[in-house]
Amino acid sequence: MADLNSVVSRSPSVVTRKTGNEYVLVPLTDNIADMTSVYTLNETGTFIWELIDGEKNVGDIINALIREYDTDSDTAKEDVLSFISKMKKYLVVK
Amino acid sequence: MINYNLQIAGYNIRIESDQDGPDLVPEERFHKNIIRSADYDVLIRVHPGHYIIPEEAERLFVAPYIIEVKDMKITSRDNFWSVYRYRSSLFICTNFPADKNKTAVLKFSLLMREWDLWIDGAGNSFDPLEYPLDGLILYYLTVINGDIMIHAAGVNIAGQGFLFSGISGKGKTTIATIFGDSGARIIHDDRLIIRNINSDYYMFNTPVRRDDSPDKSHLHRIFLIEHAQVNKISPLSGAKAVTNVIANCIQHNYSSDMIARFLGSVSILCSAIPVATLQFKPDRSVIDHLLEYV
Repeated sequence: MADLNSVVSRSPSVVTRKTGNEYVLVPLTDNIADMTSVYTLNETGTFIWELIDGEKNVGDIINALIREYDTDSDTAKEDVLSFISKMKKYLVVK
Repeated sequence: MINYNLQIAGYNIRIESDQDGPDLVPEERFHKNIIRSADYDVLIRVHPGHYIIPEEAERLFVAPYIIEVKDMKITSRDNFWSVYRYRSSLFICTNFPADKNKTAVLKFSLLMREWDLWIDGAGNSFDPLEYPLDGLILYYLTVINGDIMIHAAGVNIAGQGFLFSGISGKGKTTIATIFGDSGARIIHDDRLIIRNINSDYYMFNTPVRRDDSPDKSHLHRIFLIEHAQVNKISPLSGAKAVTNVIANCIQHNYSSDMIARFLGSVSILCSAIPVATLQFKPDRSVIDHLLEYV
């Protein structure tokens, strides 16, 4: 479970491709592409995904989301934690 | 024959019998693809007999043998064909549905243009590209060239090339027949190879059936099809278009680099060629609906 101090990085078991303002994520199982579990990220998901670099903590990402989308802190926190929870298979949380 | 060249989907494939090797007898479905050429994109040397792949080879991919009976998929054999890797070489080991005594090993590399094929249990006279070897060789040629193999029907009507993609049962043959009955040129109704040549996209057929003739068309639109009560077209763009198209592509990628290149090819395709879903009524009305849309 991630908290505001958790540092999140992307799992190497996912291949990504940015197309416009969105991402396609293809998970790997034993190095084979699992085309039945392909994810797409919308613009907000893409913004969060690109902030996940193994250095920023969850609090940093929430603050960046507040600045970019002029949203309130509760909504931003819920969005980021929800994203991390949904994508936990493709993230490493420390 | 001891050697011949095949032109399939624009790839020039030279087949050569090894010294004192087998008599090569291509199936009738390949006859219209035979060309005269001194050049080749890939040379396949054919040897009779068994080839033992290195014990250290890593198995990358296993395909079970699946039979479709009335839209039901039945796995009849655990290991139809497999791909192994040892150092820079890849090996395809396969059985043949048409002859249970026959096996083959294709030794190849994505970096080399000369490949070797051993076929065991077939005597000294056979077709070196019997199913599934033909599709596997073509698939790896698409990988080398950044092209795309897809479950799709392709038609050309009034100079417009439309690709209708969907897995088995979605209506590829139905829609191809509807367009064919209206005078459209059918490129194929099951499997196509999409290639970008000099900045234009083309769809090519491949010899699957005895009466298939080599054909291609410019590609102008991609439709992801399914049967419905009314005709309806809904455009897709960005990541959704890419995700929906790759779901229908044939791919046996075994590394993140290969998957990244494949995603790149599909992404560039979807940014150049409009993609839409097409729910269609299985009658002529779909043609009017589609032509009005484009």
